[in-house]
Amino acid sequence: MNETTVWQVKTIAQRAQEALPDSVWLSAGYIALGLVGAGAFVALLGMVLIYAERKIAAHFQCRMGPMRVGWHGILQSIADTLKLLLKEDIVPENADKLLHLIAPFLCLLGALLTIAVLPMSPTLQVADVNIGVLYISAVSGLGVLGLLVAGWSSNNKWSLIGAMRAGAQIVSYELSATLALLVVVLLSGTLQLSKIVESQAQGWWIWRAHGVGIVSFIIFLIASVAEINRTPFDIAEGESELTAGFHTEYSGMRFAFFFLAEFINMFIVSAVCSTLFLGGWMPFHIGNLAGFNGIMDLIPPGLWFAGKTSFIIFLIMWFRWTFPRLRVDQLMKLEWKLLLPIGFVNLFAAAVIVLYNLYFFPK
Amino acid sequence: MTMQTPTKPAKKPVGPIRGFFKGISSLLKGMGVTFKYFVHPSTVVTQQYPENRETLKMPDRARIRLSMPHDENGYHKCTGCHICEDACPNRSITVVDRKNATTKRQEIDHFIWRMDSCTFCNLCVVVCPFTALKMHGDFENSVYDRRLLIYNLNRYAGPAAPALAKIEDPEERKRNIDERGVYSGLIPMNGSAIAGVRACGKPPESEKVRVTEDDIKGESP
Repeated sequence: MNETTVWQVKTIAQRAQEALPDSVWLSAGYIALGLVGAGAFVALLGMVLIYAERKIAAHFQCRMGPMRVGWHGILQSIADTLKLLLKEDIVPENADKLLHLIAPFLCLLGALLTIAVLPMSPTLQVADVNIGVLYISAVSGLGVLGLLVAGWSSNNKWSLIGAMRAGAQIVSYELSATLALLVVVLLSGTLQLSKIVESQAQGWWIWRAHGVGIVSFIIFLIASVAEINRTPFDIAEGESELTAGFHTEYSGMRFAFFFLAEFINMFIVSAVCSTLFLGGWMPFHIGNLAGFNGIMDLIPPGLWFAGKTSFIIFLIMWFRWTFPRLRVDQLMKLEWKLLLPIGFVNLFAAAVIVLYNLYFFPK
Repeated sequence: MTMQTPTKPAKKPVGPIRGFFKGISSLLKGMGVTFKYFVHPSTVVTQQYPENRETLKMPDRARIRLSMPHDENGYHKCTGCHICEDACPNRSITVVDRKNATTKRQEIDHFIWRMDSCTFCNLCVVVCPFTALKMHGDFENSVYDRRLLIYNLNRYAGPAAPALAKIEDPEERKRNIDERGVYSGLIPMNGSAIAGVRACGKPPESEKVRVTEDDIKGESP
């Protein structure tokens, strides 16, 4: 069909490997670029997302948000970061000091490791693991360990309750999220993220599979919003019930790390969602409309990825500032009695579709 | 017949399928509301205060500063009847009256309002039979000395506007009037005790006496 553009995927890890026979230093440079780039990306993205969240939240609530630091408060995040860096880092007297110290890093580690495999554009991907989907769902589960450790080590009842709630919630919703991911794995027949993106050249999975894609997209969105502990599923840190949940006893830099991890997780969830269901960096194509498809191809794939991801981030923020928080029992009911059965039926339907090769735009 | 306890009419139960779609539609409705706010910046209520100082419009009913409006001739409507003083819950208003030299009728000498103790309850404005008082929204009243929050509201001592209007001769009118400034009340501004203005709180009924001009003659500087 429409195979005019062939995307050459080249990851930074591949470049490092290719450079190795010629020059060790070039190879090391690529590795350093990947590491430093991921770190810098996380720090920068955190600031941008926090500013965006504050602005968007403000306008949802008829406010203006930060307006004083810089033009329309654009430097507010930098000012806040500096403030958090300079703040006193208080550790409770009876806390488990070591665990209290490593908890925020565990939280951020899960987020950082996932960034490495996200295909942001054909040329912008640190590593392309052949079990990408499995890797993401495994590594992003590492974040909950950070939350549990934080709640446990703080030696505070609010922290502990918050952490236990977060644990129960993430363990439950991980199931639905994984079932929704499996649908896409079934449809595309691969676990490798770049291959999943390439399999969507004819059309995105969300509408290629007779509604199955839409259902699994919605399930994944709900389950992943719950996994990153955002409103309406923020019972782990519900201010009115638990002061701040698992990070009640954190201040200064360590609190900033939790905050950063939360926002990076939001980005990761949105990025995975857009990669699996909305075609990742793949431009939007309609059947055989060559002219339209050509215009769409002019937009660089990196921008496509950024646009799709920002849209889902906006959607998640929109949820946060509209929906009320769920009670613990309602949360569990939603997962075990609603999302999980629908997820299973949906997976079965996807299997039937794949078995009889029923999806739109077959190859 | 036995008494029947009134019971709340039972709500019609919503089935799981209908409940599911009802829930989704109500969530979408909520998202519509917030999105409407998001795309209409005109709904923003926040005021960028120091920047928009020139254009800032306070609501008409803002109760921040008590004032006694003066008409185009510079006359107010206060007759010195003390009703506002009696209505004031914490004695933030002190009305000092005097006898007019020629007509021997009661008229206002000082109308003292203590903003530092005022609760802005608006009762003085409500009870005034002559609508001589008004609350308005002038909120930039910060001072470094709380004595500067004690205002004299009338700009002249003398008869109220209707009584003044009956006097034909302008010269005669001027003779009935004594100028008063914002701080020209009974309060000395040089750091000594606040004379003539009673402390907050209502005194017992037996001690309820009005401050007259004779009381303060010796105290005022």
